[in-house]
Amino acid sequence: MGPVRHDLLAARRPHVTGRGPAARRGRTRVLLTTEGTYPYALGGVTSWCDVLIRGLPDFDWQVLAVIAPHGRPPMMELPPHAREIRPIELWSEEVPHGLPLPRHERRVGTELPGRLVRGLIAWDADTADLIDALTWCRRFPAGVRRSFRSRASWAAFMAALREVLGESVQDAGTPPRVDLVEAALLYQSMYWVARAAAAPTPATDVLHVTAAGWAAIPALVHKALHGTPMVLTEHGVYVREAYLAAARSAASPGSRFIATRLARGLARATYAQADVVAPVTDSNAVWEEGLGRDVDTIHVIRNGLAPPAHPVPPPRTGTVVAVGRIDPLKDIHTMLLAAAETVRHVPDATFLHYGPVAEEQEAYARSCRVLHAQLGLGERFRFMGQTDAPDAVLRAADVVLLSSISEGMPMSVLEAMAQGRPVVCTGVGGVPDVVKGCGVIAPPGDTHGLAMGVVTLLHRPDLAWSLGRRGHRRCARIFDQAACVSGYAELLRAAAVGVGPVAGVPDTARMAA
Amino acid sequence: MTGSGARHAERFVEARLGREPQDMLEAAVVLEAWAGVPAGEALRSGRAIMASSAPEARASAGRLPGTENARGTAVEALSFVIAVVAIAAWAAPLSSRVGREVLEEALIVALPTTLALQWGLASRYLSRPEGLARLGRRPLLLLFAAAALVVIPALAVGRAGALAGLLTLTWTGGTIVIRRRWSLLYAGMVVLATVAMVAGLPGTNVLGFTAAVTTVAVAAAVRARVVPTGHAPGRWGRAVVAAAIGAGLGLVLVTDRSVDWSVGSIPAIGLLPSSIASFWAGSRLWRFQRVIPQTLSGVAVVDGDVRGLGAAPLRVLLDAVARLAALTVVLSLVLIAVAEALGVETSGITVLAGFGLVALATLLVGLLEAIGRGTWALLALGGGVAAEVAALSLTPLSSVTGGGLMVGASIAVVVALPMVVSGLSRPAATLATALGIR
Repeated sequence: MGPVRHDLLAARRPHVTGRGPAARRGRTRVLLTTEGTYPYALGGVTSWCDVLIRGLPDFDWQVLAVIAPHGRPPMMELPPHAREIRPIELWSEEVPHGLPLPRHERRVGTELPGRLVRGLIAWDADTADLIDALTWCRRFPAGVRRSFRSRASWAAFMAALREVLGESVQDAGTPPRVDLVEAALLYQSMYWVARAAAAPTPATDVLHVTAAGWAAIPALVHKALHGTPMVLTEHGVYVREAYLAAARSAASPGSRFIATRLARGLARATYAQADVVAPVTDSNAVWEEGLGRDVDTIHVIRNGLAPPAHPVPPPRTGTVVAVGRIDPLKDIHTMLLAAAETVRHVPDATFLHYGPVAEEQEAYARSCRVLHAQLGLGERFRFMGQTDAPDAVLRAADVVLLSSISEGMPMSVLEAMAQGRPVVCTGVGGVPDVVKGCGVIAPPGDTHGLAMGVVTLLHRPDLAWSLGRRGHRRCARIFDQAACVSGYAELLRAAAVGVGPVAGVPDTARMAA
Repeated sequence: MTGSGARHAERFVEARLGREPQDMLEAAVVLEAWAGVPAGEALRSGRAIMASSAPEARASAGRLPGTENARGTAVEALSFVIAVVAIAAWAAPLSSRVGREVLEEALIVALPTTLALQWGLASRYLSRPEGLARLGRRPLLLLFAAAALVVIPALAVGRAGALAGLLTLTWTGGTIVIRRRWSLLYAGMVVLATVAMVAGLPGTNVLGFTAAVTTVAVAAAVRARVVPTGHAPGRWGRAVVAAAIGAGLGLVLVTDRSVDWSVGSIPAIGLLPSSIASFWAGSRLWRFQRVIPQTLSGVAVVDGDVRGLGAAPLRVLLDAVARLAALTVVLSLVLIAVAEALGVETSGITVLAGFGLVALATLLVGLLEAIGRGTWALLALGGGVAAEVAALSLTPLSSVTGGGLMVGASIAVVVALPMVVSGLSRPAATLATALGIR
């Protein structure tokens, strides 16, 4: 990949010239949009948001969360230089307010659902028309509900959906025979896309989107209306995770098609409109490029940790620790199978899993417990629940295990390396780049490979300690939190004033050529 | 990628998914996540797999997310019947205590107010999973509202207003208590009050005491502790429309002054046949939750407009209406027969027919409200009340007991029915536009 053009941001901002209002005031305003994470849920993205906001007190942060209504208060307290604006609650009963829809706009409103389905579900969608339709929603918020409740809109939507289902694109395969129930549910999803677009956004100098999905919708509209630069950071690749969820689900072909196409449509629009895409790992960038993003505008800024303390030797108690949610993406089934095989070779080995059950994954958690019982693991593998002291539990480990089938740049692996612990993990996403030479990597789902890695390191504690120390050094050298935060500071400042972001982004944070 | 490499990748993907991949991205994701293929190569392989295959369009049958089922209908119906009978017995003692005119005036205020509150509360709170807990979040406001229900009409209309307030408080509170599934408690309470009144205790005092006890029961009922699940209360706008529908039904009932609610237990007892039939017919309407998705599931969008999809939902409606009509007629005849056998005067066939028509109108406007067409329901009831007023003032119908009631309810039915049929005959559009988007 070639060098990044310094004038890139300025060239992609059609309406903004010279220095913006933030530059005049001396503080840059950033609107951070999140989806189901900060500040309402714990996890890697939330930790990253917290580190970023607290690490950049010279910016004025505004946080706009897109959430499902759950009635719970935020789990994270925002620092004084950040404020949360009213979240967008999808699937709630609230009705958008605003002036009644002018008569001459009613026809446009009737066409809205059809335009959205063409713009989001079609394989080769017209992003410009999609953005135009979304912008209409912001201009006429009260017209969204009125339009979607009209039977004429439903008829227009059905005509558009038939067109989309009749597409013949080799890469896209053959669309399934989506039925009327699925069409009705898709119609309602389109309504909520429109509602998310209609939600007001505050004045800002930079839009920072944390997922190329629902969180991007208000930012896409804001950018279209005001020309505000937009930065996208992807931790996991939104499309990849949507496809993984669909591949595992027992949903009907039509439901899978709709879920994946919608994710793809949102991601494509986000990639098309973002001025800079700043993934946390090179492997994400490959996906982003594969989905049409110009590689010259992708800048990898790796996650980082605060400087780690001097590592202490492992306890040599045969303890294997895993930290992460109980979620199909973490492939806990493979972890359990690997544990069972390990115990056959190292009967004293003890596996401790720390982490909560992911939202809406209670059934998966039950299946893990069933498998645990079937394997007869008993006290050899314990689900410890969420931990408030991840560093302490990692220090108590001889080996740290990760069995995910999808990862961006897992903080649990970085934290293990920071504590001088060797990692046995699956080579997915950004994991190989992180672990390089400091642990054992097996293919995803490779129970035997993971088990042999753990067995080897438990049998050879000196090797384990050597890999751990190497990981500690690598973590301190490459995955530095200060460098990560300053990389974003430069990127956001450059974006705010329309100057190329490269000057301030450390070399280590750029995508490898 | 070589041809054999693509075939190998294709076989791996199909084995992992148990089917052909939907598109190149799905193939790539599977290769990356379960075969450890690097992302770039996985994307290239995904494209190659799709180039070598031409899958048939797979059939699909969607399902709606889980829906709430009817709960405790039989107990609620039984409790309602007990309460109606008991309250019907209050008319005579109250009338003898405060006078017929005062009681009549009180009932004219209390019936529409109670129905408005019941419909409004059901829309915003009582039909919601966390409704009771949310209603109880502001206990002082609730207490203030309870006091206002008595004080405001008392100040506005005097003694009749105070009586109306106490009746409204008792009946509305009863709805909340029944929602807490304490229906037998409520029924027991009104039966005891009836016994006290029949035994000669002052009716207004007993009513005041009953209203106070109901308020305490409501306070206990709304103290339900629930873990928040994200179910917000219903929208105020929708609750207001629902309340207006309730008030409209109340107005249909009280506008016809030939039905004199203060003469004793007769008119209230006359409500029993249609009310019991309403419960039975209403319980059948829960089948819409199952029938509509069943009708639409598996009908492919690409097949164009499929005719006859409305048949099954319309059959459910017809079934409910038939049950309502049949049971109302049978129970009304039984009531007349029993009354004759006991030598007791009845409301008369016209009043019973009027109540039956009101029950039918209630069923239809309730259905319209449930499918998100509350304003249509209001239109139907507005038409009904206007027709009732016009019929009573412009025609000799006022001389027929319950004549106005029949006209008002009939017009509401005539206006509402085509709207209901129109909604149910296009189940896909109704599911998408009205049921899904509130």
